[in-house]
Amino acid sequence: MVESEELVLPGMEVGYAEEFIPGEGTYEEDGKIYASITGTLKIDLKERKMSVEPKTSSPAVPKKGDIIVGTIVDIKPQFAIVDILKIKGVDRELSGSVSGSIHISKTKDSYVPDLSKEFGHGDIILARIIDTDRTPLALSTVEKELGVIKGYCSQCNMPLLKINNKLKCSNCNQIVYRKISSEYGKGTL
Amino acid sequence: MKVGEPERLIIDGKRLDGRAFDELRPIKIEAGVLKRADGSAYLEWGGNKVMAACYGPREVHPRHLARPDSAILRCIYNMAAFSVSDRKRPGPDRRSVEISKVTREALEHVVFTHLFPRTAIDVFIEILQANAGTRCSGITAASVALADAGIPMADLVPACAAGKVGGEIVLDLNDVEDNYGEADLPVAITPKKGEVTLLQMDGNFTREEFEKAFKLAIKGCKKVHKIQKEALRKKYGGT
Repeated sequence: MVESEELVLPGMEVGYAEEFIPGEGTYEEDGKIYASITGTLKIDLKERKMSVEPKTSSPAVPKKGDIIVGTIVDIKPQFAIVDILKIKGVDRELSGSVSGSIHISKTKDSYVPDLSKEFGHGDIILARIIDTDRTPLALSTVEKELGVIKGYCSQCNMPLLKINNKLKCSNCNQIVYRKISSEYGKGTL
Repeated sequence: MKVGEPERLIIDGKRLDGRAFDELRPIKIEAGVLKRADGSAYLEWGGNKVMAACYGPREVHPRHLARPDSAILRCIYNMAAFSVSDRKRPGPDRRSVEISKVTREALEHVVFTHLFPRTAIDVFIEILQANAGTRCSGITAASVALADAGIPMADLVPACAAGKVGGEIVLDLNDVEDNYGEADLPVAITPKKGEVTLLQMDGNFTREEFEKAFKLAIKGCKKVHKIQKEALRKKYGGT
């Protein structure tokens, strides 16, 4: 992997298509490779691939492995449907409306008899993208820091407070179970 | 002869502001000036002061405008009420709607919209001070703002006008020359391939004059392109 210090700009010629494969941030035209974004040139000599590492901020496109913030919009027997709101650590509006789904087997690392005991309507969750080839995107909340970060009571719609490993409604004292994130109620995004 | 019209626009082979026929007004571009925009640029071109901001790719509202295979590019050109000496009535008018359209078409050609299906890329061009050639200034600034937003595109788009003033073909008309000159020819190009993405004409040229003005405008565009590149280099480092 060779990385050059020099800044490339959109439309700048960076190499020949005979020699390299155009990767991220580049495009091929008339046998030549040009940069399409502002950044530094990276050449992968093993794969013979040229790409541009952006120096500007980049459009927020969900990628495999990203942690997202979303809300639960629907709970089905096998899936929870999530409206993805933001990619964690990316301070840009998401490109387009994106929905995701959490399969019952990707909820936590133990047996889940009933998905509606793990998520509630309107809950705000953290989840990891595990597959982007499918729509809705496949999400997982298995890890410790993933899961519900803010939940709402099913009866009075008031915020739930974390007590040990359970959630308690701040209004009606109802105790509910959720797949709770270790970040519950901390407001850290 | 109208009030305020100068007797002659060309004196001793020089223009009224002392420029040569093929000389641009001083241009200054700064990239990434707005914190909350995804990409932005501020441009000063002679007496023109232009702010361009770019947002997206983002969700399209209203939904039916979205295209399933690509992003849509939306441009809004707006002149501030205080941008001209007589207060400009705020809001879109026939002229600014037309300029928004030609700006969009000039930029649409280079932006890789197919990479972001079902989204919108919004470009806002705000003319803070106008002194002829605002559509060229707007396109030039908007193109830097798009690059600053990290939106993949084939090339930058510089724009520049040429015209006919006092019988001479000159580059980059100023306010007086635009008002009392014979013709104006704004041009935008993609410097790498030399494609023309904007070509308008106001006034009359003979065929020979047109050819000459067109060539001059393209020369001007190439100079503007250098300044655009410098602005991005200044912001993002490198030589």
